[in-house]
Amino acid sequence: MRVAERTRPDGGKAAPVVAGPSVPTTTRSSGRKRRGVNREGLEAGRRSTRTLLWVLLAAAMVLYGFPFLYLLFTSFKTPIDTIAVPPTILPREWTLENYTNALGRSGVLASFINSIQTAIISTVLSLVLAVPAAYGITRYKTLSGRIFIMAALVTRMVPPVAIGIPLASMMASMGLSDTPIALSIAHTTISLPLSIWLMSSFFEAVPNDLEEAATVDGCSRLGALWRVVIPVVSGSIAVTAIFAFLASWNEFLFALLMTAIRSQTTPVVIANFQTQFGLDWGSMTALAAVYSIPVILLTLLLQRKIVAGMTLGAVKG
Amino acid sequence: MRISDRRFALFLMTPAALFLAVFVAFPLFRLVADSFFKISPIAGGPRDFVGLDNYFRAFASEAFMGAGWRTLAYTLVVVTLEFALGLGMALLFTTLGRSSQIWRTVFMYPLMIAPIVAGLLWKFLMIDNFGLIGTLLHQAGMLSNPNQIGWLSDPNIVLYSVAIPDIWLTTSFMCLVLFAGLQNIPGDLIEAARLDGARAPAMLFRIILPLLRPVIAVALVVRGIDAARAFDTILIQTNGGPQSASETMSLLIYRTMIRFGDPGLASAMGTLYLLAMLAVAFVALSTIWRPGKDN
Repeated sequence: MRVAERTRPDGGKAAPVVAGPSVPTTTRSSGRKRRGVNREGLEAGRRSTRTLLWVLLAAAMVLYGFPFLYLLFTSFKTPIDTIAVPPTILPREWTLENYTNALGRSGVLASFINSIQTAIISTVLSLVLAVPAAYGITRYKTLSGRIFIMAALVTRMVPPVAIGIPLASMMASMGLSDTPIALSIAHTTISLPLSIWLMSSFFEAVPNDLEEAATVDGCSRLGALWRVVIPVVSGSIAVTAIFAFLASWNEFLFALLMTAIRSQTTPVVIANFQTQFGLDWGSMTALAAVYSIPVILLTLLLQRKIVAGMTLGAVKG
Repeated sequence: MRISDRRFALFLMTPAALFLAVFVAFPLFRLVADSFFKISPIAGGPRDFVGLDNYFRAFASEAFMGAGWRTLAYTLVVVTLEFALGLGMALLFTTLGRSSQIWRTVFMYPLMIAPIVAGLLWKFLMIDNFGLIGTLLHQAGMLSNPNQIGWLSDPNIVLYSVAIPDIWLTTSFMCLVLFAGLQNIPGDLIEAARLDGARAPAMLFRIILPLLRPVIAVALVVRGIDAARAFDTILIQTNGGPQSASETMSLLIYRTMIRFGDPGLASAMGTLYLLAMLAVAFVALSTIWRPGKDN
């Protein structure tokens, strides 16, 4: 099994795609030909069919987008209207009260800083470890490499709840309990196997001659990796970084087990709103919105760049 | 003097391997070791070797067996629905072709949302009294009373209700994988089938699905493993309740460890849980790979 990255000129999503054993990457040749007649492959031809499909898509998108929109609308209601019976979809009165309440609460802003810190440390750690490892696995096809990538696969199956407590007590004995470092190490146990997978499939696409030429020119193997290969895959590294960042940013269970007051991340604070302050729904929705929107926007915005960077890398390579 | 390629590869892999050994393998070893002891929840408390006692207690406990079945049911429901919906969306995007590209991107947005937030927002839609879904169904005349269906309070259906955020969150992933798979089906193959007069169902079941088999299998295994580990969404929606009706294995282990303060028993449960996952994944993957058949 391997994770294959597909980016195609028609703007396919720059996200990891788990593909079966060696599925050939054939890009769709020339999109539309004569309108309405000879569409390629599975594309629907008749206009009436297409209209029906568009209606279907619109319905699906509305249903799919609605839950998050409702969360947003609710966060702009007054705290009392938030739990009004019967509920309304749109706020009767638009207000930022829930936001000022949520962000004004002690510990909330600190939790944002903790989340950012933890995610950054974990992302850097994942990349520093995964990039050379993935390169070693794909370039030198050794037995140890095959064993290693299988081991990384098995790691993915370990339930966090099973290693969370032993990991927490290890951190405590290292004097790291309740620090962003400890939590980011825990998060790296999730993102490292994922990063190794992703980077391995990216390196597969880089032709061997590239660093062979570099070594002939007198570069050491490490120098060739650093100066020639890494620049070519920098787009792929960015994609991997985003996934590692998201894995840490959204993680909850390790954060719950391993942090107390000092290094609590925002997901834990959101969950704590349920108990600590009674049922403060309004603040909860506001904080959830504030926490989600940056990553949604960031990923959607960066997507084009990543696609462009990757196709550029492929052309150069 | 140059070191051999094999040494160099090993040198590149060593840091990552060491990291995984120290922070994954060693805690796992601790987990398995702990499962043979009766451990006091107080730090530095007594630690007595009890052999397989914790395992017997796990199998004898109704909570453990119940959580096992619930985890299985939850995983099957999540993966089946996700697959059906994800395939539907992937086919829709494929048949609409390039012009649906923007919507394909928008459809991915739940993948970026934290599971804890997803659980929260669905709880908000399904909760008794001020939940929106009951109210909307009532206003549409489908329910006589907005609270007629206790999405999160009826022990008979709660396990399926708590699965909804998980399905909502990761159908996008399934769609993404299947969409990529669909793009790799050669257009002339479809064209040939169409010329032979294949209708839509035959096209789907005889041509598309068999060709997608490896992609489907990998996607199902990956998602199955994740669904079987679900924790965040359930914790925030119901905390395993009412009456443990939505208590899956992750929640049970967490509660045994933290709330009931029985790390020994929790470790035994965790070990069994891990073994079950490895066994299922191994069987699933070896049937997918079938060396020599697909490659």
